[in-house]
Amino acid sequence: MLKKYPTTRYILRSGGWYFLTFLVAISVNFVLPRLGKANPVDIIIAKHGAGKTQHAIQVKEEGYLKEFGLVKLDPDGAIVRDADGKPVRSSLWSQYVSYLGMCLRGDLGTSFMNYPKKVSEIVIEAVAWDFALQLPAIILGWLLGNILGALAAYKRGVFDYLFFPLSLLVCSIPFFAFGMLLKYQFGIVWPIFPTTGGYASNIHYSFSWEFFSNASYYYFLPFMSIFPVLLGGYAIGMRSMGIYELGTDYIRYASYLGIKENRIISYVFRNAMLPQLTGVALNLGNMIGGALIAEIIFSYPGLGTTILKAIQGQDYTLIQGTALLVAIMIIAANFTVDIVIAIFDPRVKAGMAGA
Amino acid sequence: MQGYHVEKRGCGIKKCLKSIIRYKGLIKYSKVIYNNYIIMIKTDRLLNKPESNKKGKKMKEIKRYSVLFTACLCLVFPGCTKKKGGAVDITSFPREKTMYLAGVQWGDPTTFNPLDQNPSFPVWFPSNLMYEHLVIHNTLTNKIDPLLARLHSQTDSVISFVLNPAARWSDNTPLTSIDVKFSYEIGKRYEDAPYGYIWDYIDSITVDTIAEGEGKAERVNFYIGKEEDNPLAILDVMIQTVIMPSHIMEAKIKECNNDFSKLLQDKMDKDPVVSGPYTLYVYSNEKVVCKRRDDYWGVAVLYQNRLPKPEFIIHPIYKSNEHASIALQKGELDFSSDYMPRIWMKAKAGVRTWYSSAPYFVPAVIPMITINCTRYPLNDKAFRRAMAFAINYKNVNELAFDGYSPDVKPGIILPFGIEKAYYAEEDVQRHGPAYNPEMAKKLLADAGYTSVLDKEGKLDYMINWKGERIPTLYIKVPTGWSDFEAMVKLVTKDLRAAGIDVREGACDESLYYQSQMVGDFDLFMDTPAGTLSPSLPWSRFQSIMSARNWRPVGERMTENFGRYNNPEEPGYNTTVDSLLRIIPALSDEAEKIQAYRALNVIFMQDQPTLPLVYRPEYFFEFSIKGWTNFPTEENPYAPPQSPCFGAGRNILWEITLKK
Repeated sequence: MLKKYPTTRYILRSGGWYFLTFLVAISVNFVLPRLGKANPVDIIIAKHGAGKTQHAIQVKEEGYLKEFGLVKLDPDGAIVRDADGKPVRSSLWSQYVSYLGMCLRGDLGTSFMNYPKKVSEIVIEAVAWDFALQLPAIILGWLLGNILGALAAYKRGVFDYLFFPLSLLVCSIPFFAFGMLLKYQFGIVWPIFPTTGGYASNIHYSFSWEFFSNASYYYFLPFMSIFPVLLGGYAIGMRSMGIYELGTDYIRYASYLGIKENRIISYVFRNAMLPQLTGVALNLGNMIGGALIAEIIFSYPGLGTTILKAIQGQDYTLIQGTALLVAIMIIAANFTVDIVIAIFDPRVKAGMAGA
Repeated sequence: MQGYHVEKRGCGIKKCLKSIIRYKGLIKYSKVIYNNYIIMIKTDRLLNKPESNKKGKKMKEIKRYSVLFTACLCLVFPGCTKKKGGAVDITSFPREKTMYLAGVQWGDPTTFNPLDQNPSFPVWFPSNLMYEHLVIHNTLTNKIDPLLARLHSQTDSVISFVLNPAARWSDNTPLTSIDVKFSYEIGKRYEDAPYGYIWDYIDSITVDTIAEGEGKAERVNFYIGKEEDNPLAILDVMIQTVIMPSHIMEAKIKECNNDFSKLLQDKMDKDPVVSGPYTLYVYSNEKVVCKRRDDYWGVAVLYQNRLPKPEFIIHPIYKSNEHASIALQKGELDFSSDYMPRIWMKAKAGVRTWYSSAPYFVPAVIPMITINCTRYPLNDKAFRRAMAFAINYKNVNELAFDGYSPDVKPGIILPFGIEKAYYAEEDVQRHGPAYNPEMAKKLLADAGYTSVLDKEGKLDYMINWKGERIPTLYIKVPTGWSDFEAMVKLVTKDLRAAGIDVREGACDESLYYQSQMVGDFDLFMDTPAGTLSPSLPWSRFQSIMSARNWRPVGERMTENFGRYNNPEEPGYNTTVDSLLRIIPALSDEAEKIQAYRALNVIFMQDQPTLPLVYRPEYFFEFSIKGWTNFPTEENPYAPPQSPCFGAGRNILWEITLKK
C-alpha cells in the first residue's frame, strides 16, 4: 500500500506513532500528579480554613470535591455518602474517563488554585509570552548559529580562534547566571534596561505603538539572556559537523573534480545541518514553560512559573492542561522535523520506501 | 528612576518617528506605526546617518535598536493584547496621578467576586477600596472607626451599628440595612459563603430607626448568641465582612437558580457596583488597576470634600519579593508590604519604614514552632520547656529576621502596643523560659533524658530513663519560605547544642499545608492568629490552646494544631478552656488583665509552642520618590498598614505629590 508514494507513507507512518505517543503522554499526564501524597482540596482547605467551625469546613470541602469531580454524584447531582455520612470519593478510573472526555472536547477544566479561572484561560494568557520570548530566540539563534558555525568551520584561521572559544564560553554559562549578570549590569549598575515585567507598570495591554515599543524595550534583556546561549550552542554543533564533513571523501572528491567552492559549501551545509534540525526540534518542543529561569529573574510573564506553581499547589487540572500543551508541542515539533529531515535527507525517505 | 526612563524613552521613540517622517517625507503616520516592514527599512537608513552628538545619542541609539530589533517580533503576537474588564479609554497612566502599591496580590488575579473565599486585590477582605465594611478597626488607636456605619452601643447581649444615611452605591442607589442584612445572612443561606460562621456567634439581626442629627438613620442590631457568648469573634467578622449590593447580588442569585457554586463562577469584573472610593478599572496577569470614583459618597461625609490624591492605584504583580524590592528602590513602586531584607541599606534609595531605626516595623503577630503534644516525648512538659530554654532568641532575630523584632519575651502576650496592658513582667520573670542552655540540659537530665554523643562529640541520639531510644524530631517547614527556613536552621542548631535530637524537616508547601490540621508532624513552623484583629491577644491564645473543637489526630482541627490539653486525658486542665470562654465576654478591665495573666502563666508553664520572634502582620515600606507624607512614628495620622487596608486608607487622602 502506498508503495508508490514513499513520502506520504513515511509521513503517515510516523504520524501514527506520534499519535500513540500522544495517547500515552496524556495518560501519564493524568497519573503523575495523582501519585503524590498531597491533595489539592486539602491544601485549599488548610489555607483558608483556620479558625472556622468544623461544619463550615466540611461544607466547603464537599463543595470543592463536587466542583472538581472528585466525589461520586447520584443522578440528581447530590453527593453519594457512605454509612458515616462521609462523601464517597470517585475512583481514579472514573476520573480518568471524565478527563479523557474533557481532553477530547478541548475542555481543560477549572483550575483548583486559581478558582474560578478556567485552565484554558490561564494557558492562553501566558502562552503568547512564551512564544514571543522563545520562538524568535530559537529561530534567530539557530539561523545565526548555523551560519557562523559553518563560517568558522570553513574559514578557520583567526575567526575560528576567536569565535570558537567565545561560543564555548557563552553556551556553557547557565541561563540563570547569564540572566542575573545581564540584569545586574544593564538593569542596576547601568540602568539602561528595565529589569522586571513584560512591559511598564504604567501602561496596559493595547494594540498600539506605545504598548509594543514599551514591550520591546522590556523584551530586550530577557531575550538577550536566552539568545546568545542558544546561538553559541548551535554554532559549536555546526562548526564540528562542518569540520567533519569537510574532511569526508565526497567533499575531497568534489574538490578534485573542480566543483565550484559555493557548491561545495552548500553540500557541506546540507549534510551538517541534519543533527542541527533535531536540536531545534527539541528546543521548539521545550518552548512552553521552557523560559522558567528568565521568567523568574525578570518577572517576565509566561507559562513556566504557572507550571511551577501548579505543581507546588498540586493543581491537577492546571498541571494536566499545561503538560498536555507541552506534550503537543514536543510531538508537533518532532513530527515537523521528521518531515523536514525526510525532505533534506534522501536516505531517510529511501530507507522508509525500502522497509 | 524607572518612571523617568520610561518617559524619556517615550520621547525618544516619538522623536525617532518624527525624524523618520521628516527624513523620508512620509506623511502617513499610521503606516509607519502599523507596518513594521516600513519601520525597519526607513529607520535603518536613518540610523546609518552620521551622528554628530555622540554621547547622549548613544543611549537613545541603544534603546532605538532594541526597540527596532524586537518591535517586529512582538507584532507577530497580537495574542498578548487581550483587553479585559469593561470599556477602557486610557491604557497608560501618568505617574503624577498614580500610586503603585504591592504585596497584596500574588499570582494571577482570579475573581473579583466578594463571595469568593479568596478574591483578588482589591476585593480581598481587609481591603476597603471597592467594597466597604461597616466599621474599621484602627490598629493604631485600637478604636472602632466609622465607615458605612458607626458603632452605636455594645452591651452583653447586643452590638448595634448606626448606618450612615449618606452611604450610596456607585449606581446611586442608597446603601441601606437591606444590603447589610443580605451580606450577613448570605452565610445562613449558603453555608460555604465566607464568614458564614458568624452565625455560630449571633442569634439574629434586627433593624430599627433612630433619630440621627436632624434626620433619621437605620440601626442594625446584632444579638449575641447565648451558646457562644463571644463579642470579640463578632467584631473580628464585622471588620472583615464587606457589605455587598443586595439588588445586584439578588439578581445574580436568581440568574444562577440559587446555585452558589455557579454564582462563584461570576468574576464580577465588569462595571462592578461598589460603595468604596475606588473601582476596578482594568486588570491583567501583570497588574490590577483601580480608578478613583469622584462621586464616592464618603468624600463629603467622611473626608471634608477632599478626594483621595491618586487617581489610579496600580498593583503590579511580581513573581518574587526581590522584584518588589528593586522596584521600590528605583521609585517605580510607592508602597510595599513584602518582606525585604536589610531595609536600612535601602534608605539611600529613598525607602522608608514606620520607625527610622530598628525594629523598623510595628510587630503584631508571633511566628512560632507548634509542638505536637500528642507525640512522645513532646507530650512531656519538661521536654517542651527544655526546648524553650535552649533557643537563642536574640540570634534568631538578628540572623534570620534582620533584627526586625523587638526582644522576645516568654509567653504569647506582646510586651508593647495594645497588648501591653495584659503583659506582666513579674510573671514572665518567675515562670518564663529565657535563653539558658544549661537550664535546658538540667531540665532534660531531671526528667530522665540522656543525650548520646558520637565519637566526635556531636549529638547522636537521645534515650529516656528506660534506656529506650527517642526518635529524631523534625521541624516541618515549607521549602522556599526563606525566612522560616532560616529561623528553623538556627533553632535546630541551638536545640542540638543543648542535646535535643531535632532536625529540619523541609517539605513541599502542599504537604506542609496538608499535615497541619490533621496533626501529622512533630514540630511545625507557623504563625497562629496571623492577622491583626480587635480580638488579639485572645485569638492568639484561642488558636494555640483551645480544646473547644477537639478532634483526634487524623481528623481536621481548625485551631490548636498541636493538640495541647486533650480533654479526654486525665491531665486535662479545665482552667484553660474556661478562661478562653469567659475572656471575650469580660468587660471589666481588671478582670481581663487577671484572666490574661493566668493564661499566659499556664502557657509558660506548659509551653505548647515555641514563640521565636515578633513580626508585623504586613511589612510597611514606602518610597519617597513619587509621593511623600506617608505616616511614620513621628507623624502617625494612620496606622502602619497598606493604603488599601483598614484605616490605612487615610494615607490616600494625606499623601502629597513630590515636587
